[in-house]
Amino acid sequence: MNDIIRTENLTKHYGDVHAVSDLSINVRKGEIYGFLGLNGAGKTTTIRMLLGMIRPTSGTAFIKGIKVYADNTELWKSIGSLVEIPYSYPELTVRENLEIIRRLRFLPDKSSIDQIIDQLQLGPYTNRKAKNLSLGNAQRLGLAKALIHHPEILVLDEPTNGLDPAGIFEIREMLSDLAINHGVSIFISSHILGEISRFATRIGIIHQGKLIQEVNTNDLDKLSRKRLLINSNNINAASLILSQKGFTVNETNDGFLEIKDEEAITRPDRIATLLVNASCPPTLLQVEEEDLETYFLRTIEMSGGVK
Amino acid sequence: MRRLQATILAECMKLHRSKILWITILFFAFIPFMMSLMFFIQKHPELAAKLGMIGTKATIIRLGKADWSSYLGFLTQVMAAVGLIGFGFVTSWVFGREFADHTLKDILALPVKRSFIVISKFILVTFWCVLLILVFWLFGFIFGKIIDISGWTNDIIIEYSITYAQTSLLTILLCTPIAFLASYGRGYLLPMGFVILTLLMANFTGLVGLGPYFPWAIPGLLSVPDGTEGLQLVFVSYLILAFTSISGYAATVVWWRFADQK
Repeated sequence: MNDIIRTENLTKHYGDVHAVSDLSINVRKGEIYGFLGLNGAGKTTTIRMLLGMIRPTSGTAFIKGIKVYADNTELWKSIGSLVEIPYSYPELTVRENLEIIRRLRFLPDKSSIDQIIDQLQLGPYTNRKAKNLSLGNAQRLGLAKALIHHPEILVLDEPTNGLDPAGIFEIREMLSDLAINHGVSIFISSHILGEISRFATRIGIIHQGKLIQEVNTNDLDKLSRKRLLINSNNINAASLILSQKGFTVNETNDGFLEIKDEEAITRPDRIATLLVNASCPPTLLQVEEEDLETYFLRTIEMSGGVK
Repeated sequence: MRRLQATILAECMKLHRSKILWITILFFAFIPFMMSLMFFIQKHPELAAKLGMIGTKATIIRLGKADWSSYLGFLTQVMAAVGLIGFGFVTSWVFGREFADHTLKDILALPVKRSFIVISKFILVTFWCVLLILVFWLFGFIFGKIIDISGWTNDIIIEYSITYAQTSLLTILLCTPIAFLASYGRGYLLPMGFVILTLLMANFTGLVGLGPYFPWAIPGLLSVPDGTEGLQLVFVSYLILAFTSISGYAATVVWWRFADQK
């Protein structure tokens, strides 16, 4: 079986609140699965169910084909996790916090701490108390705790929160390297599609506890909407000409004409010819593609809107 | 065993840089100092007027004769109350800190059973409380010697030390429900509120003669002189205390294992 993480109708209800409903997903070996949703969409609840911290109301989660439950200690040996904002024991230093995790993971190799400190570039902060770390470095420490044992599977909840652009790039490269070169399967949540689409191989969008779309990152291009923007010295005449030729023309707030017809988007030169021949030459012809965040919000709106 | 050793060591590491350990030691050393001061005033009534409030208090509280027998009996009684607060605080801190510091989620998905973490925490609480018990008694002796209390005999010392040890150890047994409340309440507030409530209830039940049946009053009644009406422990008292302790332990383990950790 190739599925490293699999959920079957995973559901969690708190009274009337349906935090997660009938969620069925699968993550294959070496895949980076981006789990996308707005705040409160059910991402963290799902992650906590995957880690045995919350018992599902119904449905089941499997990791490596083994059913997830709280005290399945063998299972947690191969999983590294980071849930929400990473906190550490505030009075202890970075090294001491990692030492606690090393002991609780029964890692005999003491050098694993130095290795992970180097990997996450925490060297200058080794002896700094966790309470004195910046948010970015606290996040690095959280990632170090998740990675110290070289896990086969990573379950990460918004791991780039608080990191600066250079830090985000660095973590992205590291996770890509782990997945591509070391076969690590990564389940990563985020609320920023633009960010996650840069390195996830597949994306699942969750909204109001339900999985509303699953898409390969390569196909995102095909799914995002495009439109042709037109400007002319006589915008009303241009609109009339194009309407008479059967195009659906709208006017944007900026005063441009907008056509979403496939024909106009794929052959804007024909639009130009039409307008020129009618003595109403265009001053602007621009095919515009909606950005990923717009696509994300549109996808959510189609399934019930943003709340 | 190796796993339990690892979790105990991890718990000790979490404590070693904390100021809380030293604050509790200071607190348990300070109380005997205050008690010995009361006895010193008892021995020297002429000082009462000069010491204002403390002098008045020492005069009001009937401490009995200013000898080792009364002094150690009084320390044991005080330990029953201070232990409830101090040990309750220690337990609240050991269990509640994982919630207050938001570190719980990091220790749940690890290759170590959650029950081992709970047991390690209880072992830490026990050692910590035993340390405080020794500090309290040791400083009691030191201050007693300094103020030169009369009537020292080995028999009295042994007799009261045994009663003191029994009282203190029974008080430790009452930490388990506090651990559950710290876990259930996800922090310090609920368990500490409960500790204060139990202290009030222990006094109240003692007053109305129900002390032997209220778990948190039972340790304090161990040192009550024989024949004191309504305050004598019976066999059922020990059963009630044991039941309370076992229930608290079981509830804590079950809660850590089965409750949703949101």
